[in-house]
Amino acid sequence: MWRLKTIHHKASASASDLEEFKRKRREFEKALRQARKDRQLVSKRLLQNDVEEEEKEEEESMETCFTFLSSEQVKEMIRGVQMGGEEKAARLASLRKALRNPENQLAFIKSENSMHMLIGQLSAHNAQCQLEATRCLHQLSHSSHPSVSQACVPAGPYLLTYLSSQSTQLTEVCLYTLGNLCPDNAAVREKLLAQGIVSALANCIHNQRYNLAVVEAFGFTLSQLLQAKDATEKIIPAVMASGIVPHLISALTPDPEFGFGPAIECSWCLHYLVSSSLDNSMLIAHGALSHCSAVLIALGGAVAKGNPQDGLELLIWPLLRCLGNLLASGGDVIPEDTRLLAALCVFAQIYLHLHPALSRESLWTLNNLTAGSSGFCSGLLLLNMVPILIQFLSFSGGINSMALRVLGNIAHHGPEYCVGLTQAGLLSALCATLKMADPEVVTLSLEVLYMLVSSNPQGVEEFTRLNGIPLLEAIQYNNEGEQRVRAAYILDHHFPSFSEVESL
Amino acid sequence: MLQPEIIEFLASTTPQILAKNIPVTENRESKRHDIQQKAEAGEEKAVSPFEFRPQRLRFAVEDEYFEDGDINRHMYLQNIVTSFVDDKQPPTISEFRCHIAGCKQLFDTLEGYEHHYNALHRNVCSNCKRSFPSNRLLEIHILEWHDSLFQIMAEKQCMYECLVEGCGLKFKTSKERKDHLIRTHSYPADFRFDKSKKIGRTTEKKTQQKKDAHMEVSATVLQQESSESMDFSLTPEPVETEPMQAANLKPRYSYKVPSSICFGQGSVRGFRGRRKK
Repeated sequence: MWRLKTIHHKASASASDLEEFKRKRREFEKALRQARKDRQLVSKRLLQNDVEEEEKEEEESMETCFTFLSSEQVKEMIRGVQMGGEEKAARLASLRKALRNPENQLAFIKSENSMHMLIGQLSAHNAQCQLEATRCLHQLSHSSHPSVSQACVPAGPYLLTYLSSQSTQLTEVCLYTLGNLCPDNAAVREKLLAQGIVSALANCIHNQRYNLAVVEAFGFTLSQLLQAKDATEKIIPAVMASGIVPHLISALTPDPEFGFGPAIECSWCLHYLVSSSLDNSMLIAHGALSHCSAVLIALGGAVAKGNPQDGLELLIWPLLRCLGNLLASGGDVIPEDTRLLAALCVFAQIYLHLHPALSRESLWTLNNLTAGSSGFCSGLLLLNMVPILIQFLSFSGGINSMALRVLGNIAHHGPEYCVGLTQAGLLSALCATLKMADPEVVTLSLEVLYMLVSSNPQGVEEFTRLNGIPLLEAIQYNNEGEQRVRAAYILDHHFPSFSEVESL
Repeated sequence: MLQPEIIEFLASTTPQILAKNIPVTENRESKRHDIQQKAEAGEEKAVSPFEFRPQRLRFAVEDEYFEDGDINRHMYLQNIVTSFVDDKQPPTISEFRCHIAGCKQLFDTLEGYEHHYNALHRNVCSNCKRSFPSNRLLEIHILEWHDSLFQIMAEKQCMYECLVEGCGLKFKTSKERKDHLIRTHSYPADFRFDKSKKIGRTTEKKTQQKKDAHMEVSATVLQQESSESMDFSLTPEPVETEPMQAANLKPRYSYKVPSSICFGQGSVRGFRGRRKK
């Protein structure tokens, strides 16, 4: 939870900064969206030594740790470490601070022998120097400059070796460093794969599964690997065969003391695995479906109780995707617990304004859950959740069309279900959606309307009473052929008196 | 907007209602369609344009449907400053030394000691006191150095296991393994945890694999010369020198390792252990 607190800390800038903060955030978001379109969305993660240390340094800042050093000064620092003596670890630490400055990073990698010096310290027999050298590498791996992170590549085999180290601190930094190096380019990835990164990760998580900081770092690194463009061909099969999966799945349950970090990272990994594959029976056999459901129910309970913690959506999001795609690609295995219905409805409601896309994905998962499952469809009626679904019909952006699909799933089960939907007031809501501009929404509304009026006379009466017929008549003049045909069909078959009136 | 009964329902600890236990009315959808189709046939009308069927939708990783969530995820990854968990304000205690004989490094935090112990004293060979970064490397070391059966077996079959986990290949000699590491796994030619082992072999099993041994040691000697002065001062253990008998041998491999590359600036000694002679 410490991690989620930091979000809060970052967001709670003073009021005057708020506008500036929002503007920056929007620009940042725009850049990320473009990167995603280009399939180049890559993130690196930087571990700071200590939040307090960080703040203190930011105050005294610019002069010490962020100052630009001449290449001569950088060389001097490298020599300083080599001469080292008793203060070698301290000198490495100050080198790490100097390396926060991108200019210094470039100067460092251009200096002769610099990387050999670091790798030497990395493999040396002084534990503190080893750790500091790894932190220096980590700082370099965070650089967005391709040549800087490229320079770290020779350290690969050592970083991989230390994944099976008994020192969790060291393992954690190595993991984040490797995670930062992975996405840079295909050549680096190839190299790390050849050096056995997948089995090193598998071994690491097996040994350190009880250390949550390492589990989180492991999840981050694996997620970086799995996001590679070429992951489907080589990386994913290797990961599936490595024995990592059971560990990923058991890490989905967040630890109340440590916080959500490890579960977030691991559920994103699972999402990348699930959504890249058409057959997920192996993941389901390992319990992916039941674990995702159980965690989502627990989170639903937490969200429903009020004031959901900031950042909870970071975990809900990937879990929803796992569940949604597992349902779509796992054959006929579906969860049993109907509380899942309530949890999905709660997410869709709570995040409707804050994260509409999350709301939409909740409804998508609900659609996959109810499609073809009479039990869950009955559950929605029995638990009186149809009115909630009806509320979503007024929201655009894919929310109302997905809600219509869920309602359609219910109606498709036959007249009893249609009566239930009619009694919940669906017809009047459909009168509103029939007027909407989105062709998908109108078509789906016509489909659902057809099921309601064709299966029970009550529906016909009610729709007439609600003055819905003029809406259908209006659609007959619509541009969209699909809509015209459907509207005409309903009028012809179920409201013959009106269509006759019309034709007379 | 939330209904209280839903909150209550979610909070219930056990699944009160399983989907399969919910009363389900028979799906008469097919019957209805039959009737309609008959009706349609009677009226000689076209087939119903309605085609809604419940379907589970699958979205691929790169689907646009996932854009917003992905953006949210990456904003989280990029915005956030995390911290070394174990590093937060370590409780200060009075200084103490590592209790391992011959080590004597000073510590003022438990974390520092923990890290030191795990890194250096956890995977130690009981025979020759060398320390290894991982259990696996220690096991390989014990097998190759201290298992008398190993050398006999190695003459008959491939016994040198690849250092990369999950590779599983075995080789006749450590040199073959080294070539394999470089070629297949793009390991650096000077990978230390491989090298140190072979150096050890030279000192212990001079009779066998003499050729191999020469190369290794000569390379090390070179490094030691260049780096000893810089590095050794810090290491707390008594510095011992490697047996130099190989130094006069032809340095066949040394040309491969420029003198500027010091395997850890003389810290070669690091994982080769502290033998007191």
